Amino acid sequence: MKMFEQFFQSQVWRSMFRHGLPESDRTRAETIFYNFFLHVHPTKVRKRSVRFTYTWGLGGLSFGLFIVLTVTGALLMLYYRPSVPQAYTDMKDLQFVVSSGQFLRNMHRWAAHAMVAVVFFHMLRVFYTGSYRPPKEFNWLIGVILLVLTILLSYTGYLLPWDQLSFWGISVVTNMVRAIPFGLGEKISFLLLGGNIVGENALVRFYVLHCFIIPVVATVLMGIHFWRVRKDGGV
Amino acid sequence: MGKLRIYFAASSIVFLVVLAISPLKDFFREWKWYQYKFNDLIKELPQRIKPAEIGIKQLWVRKLDRIDRCVTCHLGLKEKALQEAEQPFRIHPHIYHDFEEFGCTMCHEGQGLSTTFKESIGKVKYWDRPIFPREYMEASCAKCHKENQVPQAPILTSGRKLIEETNCVGCHKIDGLPKQWVPSLDGIGAKVNRMWLVNWLKNPKEYFLKTKMPNFLLLDDEANILADFLMTFKTFPKGAMLDPLPTLLMNSPDAQRERLIELGSIRFREARCISCHLINGKGGYVATDLGKVANKVDVKWLYNYIKNPKRLQPGVEMPRYHFNETELAGVVAYMQSEFTEGEEGTTPPHTPDPAYYEKGLALFKKYNCSGCHELGGMKKAEEMAPELTFIGSKKLYEIDFGKSNIEQSLPSYLFTKLKAPRVFSSSMKMPNYEFSDEEAQSIAVALLGNISDAVPEEFKIYPKPSSTFKPQGDFGKLVDDLACFGCHTMFGQGRSVATDLTLEASQAQRKWIEKYFKVPYSLRPILTERMPNLFLSERESKVLVDYMEQVFLADSLERDIKIDETKIAKGKILYFEKYGCQACHQIKLKGGYVGPALDNLGSRLKAGWIFHWLKNPQAFKPESIEPNNNLSDEEAEALTAYLMTLE
Repeated sequence: MKMFEQFFQSQVWRSMFRHGLPESDRTRAETIFYNFFLHVHPTKVRKRSVRFTYTWGLGGLSFGLFIVLTVTGALLMLYYRPSVPQAYTDMKDLQFVVSSGQFLRNMHRWAAHAMVAVVFFHMLRVFYTGSYRPPKEFNWLIGVILLVLTILLSYTGYLLPWDQLSFWGISVVTNMVRAIPFGLGEKISFLLLGGNIVGENALVRFYVLHCFIIPVVATVLMGIHFWRVRKDGGV
Repeated sequence: MGKLRIYFAASSIVFLVVLAISPLKDFFREWKWYQYKFNDLIKELPQRIKPAEIGIKQLWVRKLDRIDRCVTCHLGLKEKALQEAEQPFRIHPHIYHDFEEFGCTMCHEGQGLSTTFKESIGKVKYWDRPIFPREYMEASCAKCHKENQVPQAPILTSGRKLIEETNCVGCHKIDGLPKQWVPSLDGIGAKVNRMWLVNWLKNPKEYFLKTKMPNFLLLDDEANILADFLMTFKTFPKGAMLDPLPTLLMNSPDAQRERLIELGSIRFREARCISCHLINGKGGYVATDLGKVANKVDVKWLYNYIKNPKRLQPGVEMPRYHFNETELAGVVAYMQSEFTEGEEGTTPPHTPDPAYYEKGLALFKKYNCSGCHELGGMKKAEEMAPELTFIGSKKLYEIDFGKSNIEQSLPSYLFTKLKAPRVFSSSMKMPNYEFSDEEAQSIAVALLGNISDAVPEEFKIYPKPSSTFKPQGDFGKLVDDLACFGCHTMFGQGRSVATDLTLEASQAQRKWIEKYFKVPYSLRPILTERMPNLFLSERESKVLVDYMEQVFLADSLERDIKIDETKIAKGKILYFEKYGCQACHQIKLKGGYVGPALDNLGSRLKAGWIFHWLKNPQAFKPESIEPNNNLSDEEAEALTAYLMTLE
């Protein structure tokens, strides 16, 4: 025990945790406030919102799936090159050569499908429990944006295997975008594809959107979303 | 709370097991077992073979952008000791390319990147090019070999030849393939009798088994209407008119006619018509069956046609025999009396459909007859059938298999389509060519080879540019008149049925050629005699030989060989003892008969030619089976000297 006490007094520990052990109300409060991960907790939570059947844990599940996707996605990035001659063969290599590569891909794929579904159910739950009502209307808005981002993540990832399915899938959707009136559609579709057809540029753009831009934006919005949920007394 | 913990613990264990499945599956991958099995196998063999290191192996063919992992399991591809081993360990059969240089899927197709059996065969969803069945392998040769003759790929070569000969390009577009010459239908109404035409349209092969005209599976009504329509075309190309029959043929007393027929029979034989024509199942099959020709065509047409074939049928490869009037009448009279099938039966009365012309024209267009035949100045039709230039790249989902229950693959589709062209849908119009299984298969191979896959240009071998040799002047006119190109090649132009004449004047002596024109005979006893007597005049034969003496030779083949007794004696010993030439060649009826008899060789060939031929026969005739004995100049000269004494 003495060793522990010495450790808690050491500079290493004190530089990380600048408050004492949570032994008094003050240090308990400080433990929460000064910790990046814990400070999101509210001061109090209503009993009914703790009930599992109230939330079904859908928000937490979405976040969990997001973590799974980030981890598997990062590993997949080690083997995947977003270029026309290599994208498809890299995918085949993942399937046939990389240890547990197929498992990695499948996990990423099923987690992605599950995330879209779970996020959608999450929205339904929020709607049916009326959790979008003031003062939470702003958070509802962010949630809707997050739903759109989830779908966009799923969609941009669809192109990356670079097979017939992805090529035509993306062709169809960008052609739908083209139908936006006032000449906007053409412009947006061109911006998305980096050209007029699904080609090398589109592949790179979708790769950067899928692996960097959308995840970063989503992470920031998720931070705000979680903060607001907790501060409004939700779980 | 206790219950929840149990749930938590149980779900954690389930989760752990699920997670463990993946690394386990990874550890026990299919190819590993094959490699263990291989290492066990080679331990039992008396020869020492290096065991395989466990791990994925691949052939990386950089130039062709291919990675093939087939060698992960096919571990014995280079091991001679594994001649009889079970697959996947057997040695690769000898082929003309090094598989390490070209990879596996370049020829076999399939999915080279995969490391499991099922996936590598490629008969899985979303893989367009599954492994080729063995019979269709040669299709892959066509990726690089664009030349017409690929000796190492006989199936492909014969398929390409069939595609060209059956004139598929009449209806289908195939880049780089020219249309074949097909008889014009102009004047058909003044040529054939109607009943014959109806029967011909219904089933051409019944009259002439080797005809290239396919069976359009016409109904009786359709055949009748089309025949009525065609019979209205009585004008020949370029407005040529039929000359009247000579009185000699029209009404001569019986005795005179007998003599005429006898003369005709002799000339008919001398002209060697059966070199090309079939008569009751015997003879050549280049041209139509003459067995019942008197029932088919009008005498007046026959007379005019033999007199000058190209006037009535421009472009036809039949030579114009230089018969005189009596001989001509004789041949016609002979054919009229000989090639008939009993008495002409009374043709059943026939009333044409009132709208036969319109209906006939519609049928003519429906079946794209003008894709092959010319008629009445009608424009040759555009290709109305699917283009075949890249048919081998066709994706499975693009193919309509209809109600047929064949294997869903491109090779089986093409084969079935060729065997039964309308099996996939009754609205299809492709005629039936009655191909044998081998023929259909070889055509399918050639078609499968028509792919758009990008093989780097440096790998491709293209056909030699076609020859532009076209003799001019008197010689040119005679060559055209006698249809020499129908059998002979000159400077890369013409068919290779008979000798290549390009070096004829270096080879043969002038006197001999002149004599040969008068009495052609076959040089090889085991070949049928084919060169016809063309009944050339002295002047005509001189024109031909003069031209040949100036053009058909190579200076490099000349050699001044002094023939003296010592050389002759030495040559004789070489002939009979050292090289045993009599095993294949005859002199004075003694010796083998594989090669041509060498009697009179000294009055036939030039010494320079014999010398160069002996040095390297295959330089002149790649397919010659005469061995190249690597003779020294001295030996070759001695042998030449001896052979030149055989006058």
